Amino acid sequence: MLIFGVLCGCLNENEEIQKNKPYEGKTITVLCGAGLMKPMNELIQNFENKTGAKVEVHYGGSAELFGILTTTGGDVFIPGAYKYTEDAMKKELILKETVKNITYHIPVIAVPKGNPKNIKNLEDLAKPGVRVVIGDPNACAIGKVSKKILEKNQLWENVSKNIIVKTPTVSQLLIYITTNQADAAIIWEDMVTWAEGKGKIDVVRIPKEKNIIKTIPTAVTIYAKKDGNLEVAKAFNDYISSDEAKEIWKKWGFIPCNQ
Amino acid sequence: MGQSNFKYFCIILSFLFTFLLFLAIASLFLIPNPSEILNALKTEEMMFSLKLSIITSSISTFLIIILAIPIGYALSRYKVPGKSVIKSILDLPMAFPELVLGLAILLLFGQSFIGEFLENFGIKVVFTKLGIVVAQFFTALPYAIRIIYSTFEEINPRYELVSRSLGYGEFETFFNVSLPLAKNGLFASTIITFARCMGAFGAVLILAGGSYMNTEILPITLYLNISYGNIGMAITSGILLVIISFIAILVFEKFEGYKGE
Repeated sequence: MLIFGVLCGCLNENEEIQKNKPYEGKTITVLCGAGLMKPMNELIQNFENKTGAKVEVHYGGSAELFGILTTTGGDVFIPGAYKYTEDAMKKELILKETVKNITYHIPVIAVPKGNPKNIKNLEDLAKPGVRVVIGDPNACAIGKVSKKILEKNQLWENVSKNIIVKTPTVSQLLIYITTNQADAAIIWEDMVTWAEGKGKIDVVRIPKEKNIIKTIPTAVTIYAKKDGNLEVAKAFNDYISSDEAKEIWKKWGFIPCNQ
Repeated sequence: MGQSNFKYFCIILSFLFTFLLFLAIASLFLIPNPSEILNALKTEEMMFSLKLSIITSSISTFLIIILAIPIGYALSRYKVPGKSVIKSILDLPMAFPELVLGLAILLLFGQSFIGEFLENFGIKVVFTKLGIVVAQFFTALPYAIRIIYSTFEEINPRYELVSRSLGYGEFETFFNVSLPLAKNGLFASTIITFARCMGAFGAVLILAGGSYMNTEILPITLYLNISYGNIGMAITSGILLVIISFIAILVFEKFEGYKGE
């Protein structure tokens, strides 16, 4: 009986491994926006444990990733904004039916801890004496969005007077707020959550109707088909947009899309 | 035979690497077409950046040399308590990344008592052109001190003693004997300091903000235009920096060469 039981257990376990790790020995390449690194590392770990597939990931700026996609390939493409996926679709590098929006990328106003200038809304950025730092609209996505949000609310001209510096990267904005060099900046909400642990930043949310919210998409590329990785790539694509994955996105400060 | 094989191996290796480096620098000049560079040169942004670079670097270099001469002299001639600690701290910025230096001086001149003290006099360092000078100053000062220190080290103190024994005072001796003897070294360090100021990037980016047509010096122009996707502008600012560095190194080599021969 005992021996039989052990044997059964072994057999069952073997069967389970076979059933649950269908992609043992397969490797896919993922091109992923650098800002998504923290949740993505966790998601990849889970996916590898579950399926046995190996995921090689390249983190980078969206424009850089787009360049890699057009020249050397990659099986799954996850840039920081939908625009890049759209461009890739126009070039027919993406399998259209696989495009899924994973999470929202939400601009918020970041202020130093305690909110010394008492910023409550976008209009307050135009108050005299408020030192505002924003991303350079020509250089980074958050800069472009910040300008559009302020224009949408007819505030660009007045806020411009308060802008003390325009930075080429979004991370630089975070430094200036945490070190109290400025009173307010517009940055991505998910970044704030990471820095919040340090307790140096407060967040002022922008009402939905005044904000411009971006989405982060994922999609399988035509290269997956060519490389014979289509099935694995699709499974990964489905996994990172699954309900289970949504919990991980939430944990890292992202707000998953409900599709 | 073995020895001469080794000799040729070393020489060929030097040639090979020099050629590779030359190729890398040359490709900066070869890839864009000349009209693209000319157009980039003529833009308001490039002119602004070039002018601002030269002005800030000149001011920084002047301030650095004024300070580096007495510091270099003190370290070389006098018994200073904790000299090796002082020298190590002064050399530190050469070893760690400029971005770290930038962050450090941002914290120093930002909301600290020094920053507030200066602000009371209406002096703003963060996000201003003055910030560029401050960042360049901290980046290049260690190089200047190093060269000036070793220049004074190479001058025999005997000359100074003779001068003192003939009745010259300490300051007169420094001014009439030590400084003229150190002339070549001082000139070389001025050139290197200027080149280092022109190339300062990380510290300037953080302290002065690196913002378009405001605190934009040549390395920032290169960086900004890479983010904007204007490769022509980026390469042109790169070329300008290479030319300036080349002239500096050439002058430096000339003076260093005299010393050896």
